[in-house]
Amino acid sequence: MREWQRMDNRKRGRDMNIIETRQLSKTYRRVVKQEGIKGSVKSLFKREYEQKQAVKEMDFSVREGEFVGLIGPNGAGKTTLIKMLTGIIAPSSGEIQVMGFYPNDLKNDFKRQYAIVMGQKSQLFFELTVNDTLRMFQEIYGLKEQEFREAKEYFTALFGVEKLLDVQVRTLSLGERMKMELMAALLHNPRILFLDEPTIGLDAVASRQIRRFLREINQERGTTILLTSHYMEDIRALCDRSVVINHGQKIYDGETEELFEKYQRDRQVTLSFDRAVEGMELPERAVLVEETPYKKVVRVPREESGALLQRMMEYGPRDVIVEEDEIGRVVERIYEEGA
Amino acid sequence: MRKYREIMRVYIKAQLAWRAAVAFSMLFTVAKILFAWLLWGMIFRGRNIVAGFTFHGMLSYYIVSSFLSQLEMSGGISGEISARIRNGTFSNYMVMPVSIEGYFAAMEVGVVLFYLCFDLLAAVVWVFVFRIQFVFAKSAVMLACALLMTVLGLFFMVQLNCFLGILTLKYEEISTFLMIKDNLVSLVTGSIVPLALFPERVVGIMRLLPFYYVTYLPSMLFTGRCAEEAVRGLVVLGLWCVLMQWAIVVTWRKYRVKYDGVGV
Repeated sequence: MREWQRMDNRKRGRDMNIIETRQLSKTYRRVVKQEGIKGSVKSLFKREYEQKQAVKEMDFSVREGEFVGLIGPNGAGKTTLIKMLTGIIAPSSGEIQVMGFYPNDLKNDFKRQYAIVMGQKSQLFFELTVNDTLRMFQEIYGLKEQEFREAKEYFTALFGVEKLLDVQVRTLSLGERMKMELMAALLHNPRILFLDEPTIGLDAVASRQIRRFLREINQERGTTILLTSHYMEDIRALCDRSVVINHGQKIYDGETEELFEKYQRDRQVTLSFDRAVEGMELPERAVLVEETPYKKVVRVPREESGALLQRMMEYGPRDVIVEEDEIGRVVERIYEEGA
Repeated sequence: MRKYREIMRVYIKAQLAWRAAVAFSMLFTVAKILFAWLLWGMIFRGRNIVAGFTFHGMLSYYIVSSFLSQLEMSGGISGEISARIRNGTFSNYMVMPVSIEGYFAAMEVGVVLFYLCFDLLAAVVWVFVFRIQFVFAKSAVMLACALLMTVLGLFFMVQLNCFLGILTLKYEEISTFLMIKDNLVSLVTGSIVPLALFPERVVGIMRLLPFYYVTYLPSMLFTGRCAEEAVRGLVVLGLWCVLMQWAIVVTWRKYRVKYDGVGV
């Protein structure tokens, strides 16, 4: 099928659920052993296990073309969910369908239609050049020569990596390697792209570039993207919809901005002075976060930020910066309170 | 098939990336031939025949059998599958639209072809340098049987190692299985105790096992010996390949669901 036809089909299918789970659960069984040699010997004869429910009765769906963020602390169940959706692991119970397939059947027709990029796992061959690896992916996914060449040219230009294609993968920087991982994953134009922590360990510039590429791929190629990330900047910048998971359960599923709006309760005001200011009086609910004679950083509930500024003007500040609540605090609140 | 051919090519390219490894591999082949030439030269001093072999016949057998043993490198497959299942990176293979066994077989062919080309080159050069009159089977049918048996033998070892690797899904730790396999291979190929020392009935049982046909019998066939065992060898090995394929399919279907991908 030609590229434009596939994209057209994707756009038409935007109202369809490309991913659907009902009451999906996954329980891991793990060995528990008492400390020391005695515990090891005892465990040799009588093994004890504990059950850990990583995903609990989750109802979840994604429409074609959506960009969905999965948010949650470590061990929340995000990666387990992605592994079930890609067929890597089998669910313990519940129903699951991805593009009409039961993922754990591991059918090649299914695997040809998605791609997965995990920040901590590489699909590339470190001894080989990127070109050699891409050639292998061309054959594995059965791409015709022209299709392959067009896709390679598109991504090479998008990622700006023309000079890196003939370089051994092991010599690439982390940011460059991640671009190549994405390129290898997207070469066959998958309908769904699963991303697990794609910006982990990357600096701000590389993260920003990756975000830009992902947005373009979602908008231009209609690729459905499911992203897990600990970096809320990634989620906020990219995902219209967010799903918050904690202790294996979905605690929020809705618009990303609404989520942040709900938990964005404070403003941080930074005031710089030309002269030393001592004994400044603050409104009742404001907290002094940082203080030097020439600089004060104050955190105040959003609805009182105007009143705070009015009062601060009396001290004649040289410069005033008003910032949104620190993203880490917002996330902490989401996890603690549950959405 | 194209995808498996490309996987094979990737592994040839991966090995060519390391120049020192290529050079040492050739050096190793050369050193083995040199050592055999010196050793058997001393043994054959003043004698024309030892255990039914001439000097050149013995060297031919040694070169062929050590060459075939060097090609049998499938042991890495079980280690790779097992390690990746345990550390959670086995999913790299699961998400690709290829058969996992096919992937590893193609990988093995890539590795074997690499050594085949370079070591064969080194061996041929040294055969000329030492003027070894290579003793080869004269019958084309025998050579074809030897070749087919070599291919089947190497394929069987890939299957066996794949199967043992997959058992990690069930047992988590497979080093005992690997140890049993290695000892069995050594025993049946006569590396621990010469086969001639075993009673005929025990040797008969060993001939029902596939390992006898992996390097030992093909080497003998290539050098024009044991022709009467060729057909039986092919049948036994063929049956073992079918049996092993069935075992792989059943084991993978049954235990695939146990993979939990933890560790990453």
